[in-house]
Amino acid sequence: MEFVLDEEQLMLRRTVREAVAKSRARGEDDQWALYQELGWLEAPPVELALILEELGYVADGTPFLASATWFAPVAGRLPEGAGTAVFDGAGRYVLDADRAGEIAVRTRDGVRIVPAGELPVERVDVFDSSLHIAHVDVRDAAHGVPALALMGLAATAVGSCRRILDLVVDHVKERQQFGRPLGAFQAVKHKAADMYVAIERARALTHFSALTLAEDDQRATGAAHMAKAAAGECQRLVFRHGLQLFGAMGFTWEHELQIHLKRAKACDLLLGTAATHRRALLTR
Amino acid sequence: MRLADDPDIGRFRAEFAAFLDAHLPTAAEAVERPRSSAHVPAWARRWQRTLFDAGWLLPGQPPEFGGRNATLPQQLAHLEELARRRIYHSFNPQGLGIVAASLITFGTDEQKHRWAVPVLRAEITAALGMSEPGAGSDLASLRTRAVADGDHFVVNGQKVWTSGAHDADILLTFVRTDPDAPKHKGISCLVIPTDTDGVVRRPFGSLAAPDDLDFNEVFFTDVRVPRENLVGPLNEGWRVANGSLGHERTLLWLSFAERLDDLIRDAPCDEDWYATLLMDAQALRLLGYRQLGPDPDPAEISVLKLLGSEAVQDASLHALEAHGADGLRHPELTGPYHHMNAEDFSASWFERYARSFAGTIAGGTSEIQRNIIAERILGLPR
Repeated sequence: MEFVLDEEQLMLRRTVREAVAKSRARGEDDQWALYQELGWLEAPPVELALILEELGYVADGTPFLASATWFAPVAGRLPEGAGTAVFDGAGRYVLDADRAGEIAVRTRDGVRIVPAGELPVERVDVFDSSLHIAHVDVRDAAHGVPALALMGLAATAVGSCRRILDLVVDHVKERQQFGRPLGAFQAVKHKAADMYVAIERARALTHFSALTLAEDDQRATGAAHMAKAAAGECQRLVFRHGLQLFGAMGFTWEHELQIHLKRAKACDLLLGTAATHRRALLTR
Repeated sequence: MRLADDPDIGRFRAEFAAFLDAHLPTAAEAVERPRSSAHVPAWARRWQRTLFDAGWLLPGQPPEFGGRNATLPQQLAHLEELARRRIYHSFNPQGLGIVAASLITFGTDEQKHRWAVPVLRAEITAALGMSEPGAGSDLASLRTRAVADGDHFVVNGQKVWTSGAHDADILLTFVRTDPDAPKHKGISCLVIPTDTDGVVRRPFGSLAAPDDLDFNEVFFTDVRVPRENLVGPLNEGWRVANGSLGHERTLLWLSFAERLDDLIRDAPCDEDWYATLLMDAQALRLLGYRQLGPDPDPAEISVLKLLGSEAVQDASLHALEAHGADGLRHPELTGPYHHMNAEDFSASWFERYARSFAGTIAGGTSEIQRNIIAERILGLPR
C-alpha cells in the first residue's frame, strides 16, 4: 500500500486552510455558503478527511460535518441546504437537527427523507455551547451508523486535538517559571510528546478509514471503528494533558482552549465513545 | 494514497517468496540453536551465505554486499516476507544491520572486504561496542580511551551491554581519541578483533536466566589496534555512530510491528485491550508506510519506536495478567515454535512481558524518544 498524501491532496489541504482562515470573520452563514460553492460537500472520503481535520482545527461552526457525513451516506445524495440523519431509534443527540433543512432516517422499509418542520425537534443544551445538538422524535428509525459518519467525527476530533497541542506548545515555549520556559521541563515535554504520538496514531487510522471507504474495501467498517476509537482515546489524553499544562489560564472562558477541548470531547461522545468502538471491533 | 502495492512490489515479493520456498533450511537441519546474538550455528551460516550469494541478504545493497540495489519499499517487502514466515535472515542481527552496514558506508575498500563482506557471508560475526558504565543514554560521554602510538592506537577502558561480544570475532568500538574536544567531537570508531591481547569479555545473564548469556562487559587493557582499523575520519566517530544506528532505525519499527502481530496471534482476544492491540498494530504500520514517502523526518522514527515498543509492552502485560496465576508457568510455549526464529517470542507470558523492556530501553529509552519528539518535532527548548 502507499500511505503518503499526493501533491493534489497536499494542495487541497493548503486551500482549505486559507479559505477557512479568510472566511472566518464573515460568520457561519457565509462560510457554509462558501464551502458549498467550493464543492467540499462532494469531496471523496480521503479529501473529506483532510477538510474535516482542518475544520476541526478551527472548531468550525457550520453544519458541514452532519451534512457531508451524516445525511449524505444515508440519503445517497447531498441535502438541500443543511442536512443530518437519525441513527438511533429514539432520535437522541442528533447533530445539527435543529438547523437542518432535511433529515434522513433509515427505517426497516428503507430510507425516509423528511423535510425539517415535519418532525418534532428539540434542541438540547450541551457543554460545548457552539455545537447544535437536538433530539428528534422519530419512532421507526433503525440502527446503523454509516462508516463515513464515524470517520467524519474522528477527523474532526483529530483536528481539534492538533489545535490543542499547537496552543499548548506555544504556551509552554512562552511561559516562564523558575527562570525557564515551562517547555524545558521534562515532565512537560513528555506530556507533549505523548499528545503528539496519540494524534499521529489517530490521524493515521482516520486516513486509513477514509482510504478504505474511498476504495470500497471490505475492511471499511473495522477501519471506521478503529478510527473512531483511536480519536476518542486521543482526545482523552489531549484533553487531560492539554488543560493541565495550561494551568489556570486554560480554565477561563476567554481563552480559546476551552472551545477546542469541548469540541474534541463532543466528537468522542457522539455516536459511541472509544470503549464502544473497541467493543464493536471485537464483536464484529 | 492507495491500498494496493505497486505492481513492481508484487513481482519483487513473488520472486523472493519463490526463493524462500526453494532454499529454506528444514527443521532437521536446524537442530543446533543460537545461544547469543553473535553465535551463528553452521546451518545458519550456510543459510545466510545462500541469501548473500542470491542478493537476498540486504537487498538495498549492491550485489557485492549481498543485495540487488532494491528501493526502500522493496526492502520493506523483503522484511515483511521474512516476518510473515517467522524467518530470520541472520542470527547476528547487529553484525549485519549495524556493523557491516557502517563499514559499507564509512569504511575503506580494504575494510569493506576484510570485515564487512565476511560478516555478511557469515564467515565471522560482529558485535557493537557503544554503551559504557557511565555512558548509556548519554552515549557521547563515553570514556574508553584510544591514544595514538606510531601506527597503532592503544585502547584502555570498558564497555558494557555489548550483546554477543563473547561469541563475536570483531567489535565495532567507539573510543575517545580527543579528551580535550567537546564530547561529541572527540570520538572515533575502531574495529577491534576480539582475540587481540588485552581484550577480556565477561558475559552475564539477563533477568530471564543466569545462563541466558548475551550481555557482556568488555575490558580493554593496553590493547594495541592498528591504525588501519580506524573507521571513518579521526574524531568523527559520532557521525559514524549516528549513521550506524540510522541504518537500523529506518525499518526498526517493523520489528515491533512483527511482535505486535505475534501478540495478535497468541493473546486471548476477548478483552478490551485486544482491540487496542489491533489498533496499535495497524497504526504503527500506517505510520511506518508514511515514512516511505519523499523527505521523511528522521525525528518521526522516534514516534514509531515509542509507539511500537510501548504497545508491545502494554499488550504483553495484558496478556500476562489475562492468564492470572497460569501466567507464572515457565518455561511455557505461548506461540508457535519456528526453527528459523529465535525462541524469545514463543516463551512464557511472564518472560515475554519481561523481555518487552528490551524494546523500551535499548536503542534509546522511551524517555529519550519523548525528549526527541518534544525538542525536534514540537520545538520545545532543550
